[in-house]
Amino acid sequence: MRDISGLTGHAPADTSISSDKIFSSVRKSSPKIDAEGLVLGRPAYTDDLAPSNALVVKLVRSPHAYARIVSIDASRALALPGVACVLTWKDCPRTPYTRAGQGFPEPSPRDKFILDEYVRYVGDEAAVVAAVDEETALKAVSLVDVKYEVLEPVLDFEKAIDNPSVIHPEPEIYENFPIGFEPKRNIAAAYRMEVGKVEEELARSEVRIEGAWSTQAQCHVALEPHAAFSYLDLQGRLNIVSSTQNPWHTRRIIGMTLGKSLKDIRVVKPRIGGGFGAKQTIHVEVFVALVTLKTGKPARLSLTRKEVFRATFTRHQMRIEVRLGASRSGELRAIDMFVLSNTGAYGEHALTTLMVAGSKTLPLYNKVASVRFGGDVVYTNKVSAGAFRGYGAIQGLYALESAIDEMAAKLGMDPAEFRKKNMIREGETSEVFRIMGEGTEGVAMTVDSCKLDYCVRRGMELVGWDPKELSREVGPGKLRARGMAIAMQGSSIPLIDMGSARIELQDGGSFKLHVGATDLGTGSDTILAQIAAEELGVELKDIAVYSSDTDHTPYDTGAYASSTTYVSGSAVQKAARSLKRQMIAAAAAKLGVAPGEVEFDGKTFKASGGKSLTLYDQSFNTLYRDGEAMRTLSATESFTGHKSPPPYLAGFVEIELDTQTGKVDVIDYAAVVDSGNPINPNLVKVQVEGGILQGIGMALYEDVRYSESGRLLSDSLLGYAVPTRADVGRIRVEIADSYEPSGPFGAKSAGEIGIDTPPAAIANAIYAATGVRLYDLPFTPEKVLKAIKKARG
Amino acid sequence: MTATIVVNGIAERLSFAPGDMLADVLRAAGHVEVKKGCDTGNCGACTVLVDGTPVLSCAFLAARAEGKAVTTVQGVEKEAARFAAFLGAEGADQCGFCAPGFALTVIALSREIQNPTDEQIKAYLSGNLCRCTGYESQHRAVRRFLEATHARH
Amino acid sequence: MEIGNLARPTDLDAALELIRKERGVAVGGGLWLRMSSKPMGLAVDLGGLGLDYIRDSGGDIEIGAMTPFRRLETSALLAERFGAFFRDAVGGVVGVQFRNMATVGGTVAGRYAFAGLNAALLALGAKVVLRGEGTKDFASFLSEPRNESFLVEKVLLPSGCRAGYASVGLTEGDFRILIAAAAFVGGSWRVVVGARPGAARLCDTATKELGSDAKPSGAAIEKAAVAAAAEAAFADDLRSSAEYRREVCPVLVRRAVSEALK
Repeated sequence: MRDISGLTGHAPADTSISSDKIFSSVRKSSPKIDAEGLVLGRPAYTDDLAPSNALVVKLVRSPHAYARIVSIDASRALALPGVACVLTWKDCPRTPYTRAGQGFPEPSPRDKFILDEYVRYVGDEAAVVAAVDEETALKAVSLVDVKYEVLEPVLDFEKAIDNPSVIHPEPEIYENFPIGFEPKRNIAAAYRMEVGKVEEELARSEVRIEGAWSTQAQCHVALEPHAAFSYLDLQGRLNIVSSTQNPWHTRRIIGMTLGKSLKDIRVVKPRIGGGFGAKQTIHVEVFVALVTLKTGKPARLSLTRKEVFRATFTRHQMRIEVRLGASRSGELRAIDMFVLSNTGAYGEHALTTLMVAGSKTLPLYNKVASVRFGGDVVYTNKVSAGAFRGYGAIQGLYALESAIDEMAAKLGMDPAEFRKKNMIREGETSEVFRIMGEGTEGVAMTVDSCKLDYCVRRGMELVGWDPKELSREVGPGKLRARGMAIAMQGSSIPLIDMGSARIELQDGGSFKLHVGATDLGTGSDTILAQIAAEELGVELKDIAVYSSDTDHTPYDTGAYASSTTYVSGSAVQKAARSLKRQMIAAAAAKLGVAPGEVEFDGKTFKASGGKSLTLYDQSFNTLYRDGEAMRTLSATESFTGHKSPPPYLAGFVEIELDTQTGKVDVIDYAAVVDSGNPINPNLVKVQVEGGILQGIGMALYEDVRYSESGRLLSDSLLGYAVPTRADVGRIRVEIADSYEPSGPFGAKSAGEIGIDTPPAAIANAIYAATGVRLYDLPFTPEKVLKAIKKARG
Repeated sequence: MTATIVVNGIAERLSFAPGDMLADVLRAAGHVEVKKGCDTGNCGACTVLVDGTPVLSCAFLAARAEGKAVTTVQGVEKEAARFAAFLGAEGADQCGFCAPGFALTVIALSREIQNPTDEQIKAYLSGNLCRCTGYESQHRAVRRFLEATHARH
Repeated sequence: MEIGNLARPTDLDAALELIRKERGVAVGGGLWLRMSSKPMGLAVDLGGLGLDYIRDSGGDIEIGAMTPFRRLETSALLAERFGAFFRDAVGGVVGVQFRNMATVGGTVAGRYAFAGLNAALLALGAKVVLRGEGTKDFASFLSEPRNESFLVEKVLLPSGCRAGYASVGLTEGDFRILIAAAAFVGGSWRVVVGARPGAARLCDTATKELGSDAKPSGAAIEKAAVAAAAEAAFADDLRSSAEYRREVCPVLVRRAVSEALK
């Protein structure tokens, strides 16, 4: 085995870089601009900033999985001194909406009311209480007397369709455009597509495999619980400060639902303590807004961790059937995938996560003659499912990459070689790109950057991949084994995700960059500044970034779908280019030459004949000294993608499996990622490392569990096992040398791709160790041991 | 009840109910660097030192801190800022929510164990959850910080 | 937590008085108590009673009730006398901050079934000293019906012995799915199975199989392991089924004994 101890985290020798440019700011691992402030705990998060005189909002929650509210008697609560209001469904506009943070009109069903006569899962909000302090609010909650008519809940998603118990009987709910919404059948969304004729191709295939893979609901466990506060400003406008991934969607959805003009609402995102999709929704903002509008007073709500588990969102639980057909010589001919997805009580992100399970997995194997994908998304009386990193791709890839490994085994081929033979390569395309978007049709795309072949080869090198020895014994009953999986994702939703940036020259020669883009801690403020600095040719430290304020920064779709670098970054690049043109024109005018004769080196404007002007001086000229010629030099630009160039990743895991207890430990996880040209290599690496661990959590430890009556049992970190630093050996990430021509300085994305491979890679390693395939997550010691014993007979 | 608790070297006269936890009392007194990430004592975001010992302030009765020296991350500001630079150099400061409690525990580690092995580092810090980084970059930063700290002394 | 009054006695008998006469609730580390929603009229902080100690009193080892897990884990004396036993039993629990607060007395008084410490103490044949009641065998203390009006003062251990601990769980700091502890103390073996999820119990049949042989054979260990699995009762919970616990019990018992024999 090769000695790999000297390897760094970067692609070996940048000499083969696809771009001919040497970068000054981009491709640098610049520290994030807020490191010290955050570590020292300076007030930054929503709960830190809430006004001390704000009313404290608490929620009355349903103890039943499905019930109708017969009556709410708030008299004893209202009699408590310090209680400002108790709001019920009768106090809310009867406007159906969706909480999904998505473009307009949303591809999710509008099946939610702020408060409704029905409660649809244990924890669903029944009433809103506001009081002067937390103690009073909690006491008031306990005094609100709600009488329920308990209804028969639907708790098994495989029994949801056409179940006699209909979860959404309300006549007012609707879909914005056809998404397969059939609420009377408990179907929130559905999708079907076929390229070629899959049954024929399968019948014609010499070798076939089929199986069904089950993935569990998973919780984000972003360390900061959801929080928001609101107040009316001097102009009587509603201001909402929220831990949100999508300020504009929040503003639009709340405005439209409450019947308040959008011009009278402002949404601000301060620092967020983690998102991962947990906050890509309307969460508690609507409740504080409601209280502020009713009382005229500031209102705050911070969820407890228990409430985050019980009453925010989870990943969609899915059951995925896959059939593959191949020739005996190893050419994959057909893929058939069908998904049953559980969206819980409400349909946020139902269609789109279903579609991503196919659109961001199937193109990996683009050489097939036929591919079919379909699915149904059903309601159950469980915690609502929503957006979570990977967004369907991690579930789809668990199934697909496990099936691919099974096929390789059946063909007697090395799983790596089988993939290399069939996977997508640079310059190729897939019909799936054209057919499947996110909620709508997609966009045809040739893959201009794909280093998957390098990623697989390099990953094999890093781990010493030997198909003849994927497993070995290291102690009595202890095996070490390897498995692999490949993945793709997307970089924004083309022609739907749009971001804008405004950059302005300030006196003193520095710049202010305003972006709507939402930094979740991912470092987008920093990388966007890097892009601006690179384009302008100035230093990173001369860019001041302000973001995510609907009053002061230009529009941005929000941080999801791995869109920030590609979309917001492109907008920044365009704006910076535009500003640079303005600066040169102004300098040229000042110097009395034509713009074409002026060059800017980052500090000075130089013209032929020795004339020059410093940026520093010119900045004062434009604002103070130039008389009629004075003006602010500023540029605002927008960008939406015409394609969604996928990042790619090859993941290789080494596990240690204790055959006597069934315990699986990850010893080493090596991943090689193609995320295009990395704007900030460290930040790309950390995104992928973080994603990998969340994927390992889903593979081995995390599980959302309910009682028989539908009450969430895993409602704290005592019951929900998130991986700690003592659980995993080593995660190694290398960045492939890649350049995407349509991306800002060649970048694609890195936000989600890391999470996608661990479930399949680990399943494949378990197979290598034991000859046993595991078809449902997580791979607990119990499941592994049971499978081993069953295989032994 | 009212009690005097020395917070970051300053005696603060604080009023609270006997059953109040130190985390809530500290936050209400303006020490928002003490974060609350869970209800169950699992995440470590609320870590403070009480007479130099790292504890979970969310589970520590404020009354028990009477007459004791409580240190939040701001009480070790210089060292924490130094550590922050190492985190920043790795890109390991992501959402930052775990960071104050984490930094404090790292500093406690540097005082309690000389030359810890990787295993010891991971074991000591295992009560500080992070959901963003996957721990790798944090580990790199901690190693470099400890090496640099050790080199100074 | 809702507490009406917090008393902070500095005298053991005064503390006991508050607990008995005034229905005071003893607060050790406070970690589990804090999650209970039951309001307490009077809470009694045991932190001022000088009960944080681990000492060799000539015959036994005495551990004061307010000794935190972290001290058990790092104690040179305990390592010298019991090897890695205490480090294995409590060293992984949640995190260092948690273990700086969780106390021996709190865990013993709570008789928590999930606690590795309780399984470990049972395996060692520990004794509990209850203020005003005297010394009790830990096994009896764990199983007898009790009201709430008692005060754990200290735990007594033999001066040293071979002891081994094995467990299985999901993540490292998480509750254990099953625990086994074995010790050769006073000339005979004690085999304990814990977190079944029920409370730790001594497995008499397993203990008998190993008997008083300081170095039992592989066959005897195997018999003991199987006997323990047959004797202990298991149940389902969030983390695991009874069936899995039963399957894995002999493996852990075997490993605990092997650890003890190292």
